[in-house]
Amino acid sequence: MDHRQYNYSEFVVSPNEFLEFAQHAPKVTMRAPSFPLEDLATGKTVEMKELWKDGITVIEFGSFT
Amino acid sequence: MERLADRYASRAVRSVFICTREAHPGENYRHHRSMDDKRRNARAFREHSKLRRQILLDDLEGSAHRAYGLLPNMTWIVGRGGLIYYKSAWTSDADVANALEGALDFQANRAKNQWVAFYSERIAWSTRDQARFREGLVRAGPQAVADYERMLQASGASRDAPSPDVGPRVPGNFYKTEEESEKK
Repeated sequence: MDHRQYNYSEFVVSPNEFLEFAQHAPKVTMRAPSFPLEDLATGKTVEMKELWKDGITVIEFGSFT
Repeated sequence: MERLADRYASRAVRSVFICTREAHPGENYRHHRSMDDKRRNARAFREHSKLRRQILLDDLEGSAHRAYGLLPNMTWIVGRGGLIYYKSAWTSDADVANALEGALDFQANRAKNQWVAFYSERIAWSTRDQARFREGLVRAGPQAVADYERMLQASGASRDAPSPDVGPRVPGNFYKTEEESEKK
């Protein structure tokens, strides 16, 4: 999936997306995958694994819309 | 979630918000064609919603978002070292708080109580503030409103409950009746 497919310009629901989340996304008791992210405030790269290095982390995904 | 983040910060819980693609792009907040688009919308969101949590941007391809399941407003709790404690298809303050209490209890007392983690699944409940959701669509622009209406009509997502035990079939509820399950 390239960025054009990922960033759709019109919302079209995927009928099985919640089922896929339940069945195929990482499960509890597994290790969380880590990716580099950009800190909006500083512009610096933050590795996700740094977030949970010292303790529990709550991660909410979302957007303005 | 901001109040929850403040409440648990004193118990060494870190809370972050990861910006994904726009779930309901419209004329006012369009889909991202560049990281600058993503930064612009994220700043508008931070200002509008008065977010105090650390805001992190996924890359333009949504690498992290896709790896975690691609849903528009999911929440995860990850324990020290990377063990996934909780994953939820929707974000509910009450459900997250409930899970956090369990996670903190486990972290503090697992050695003393000789607890062992195990896998579990359950259903959770929340209310939906439809008026607030509609406000968000209107803010995004007429296209976002029209796209959502089209989705509702096409998918039948707001059909009646299939049984008294199950709520309306909103996105996230993939319950099937016995008859539906037998249809291939």
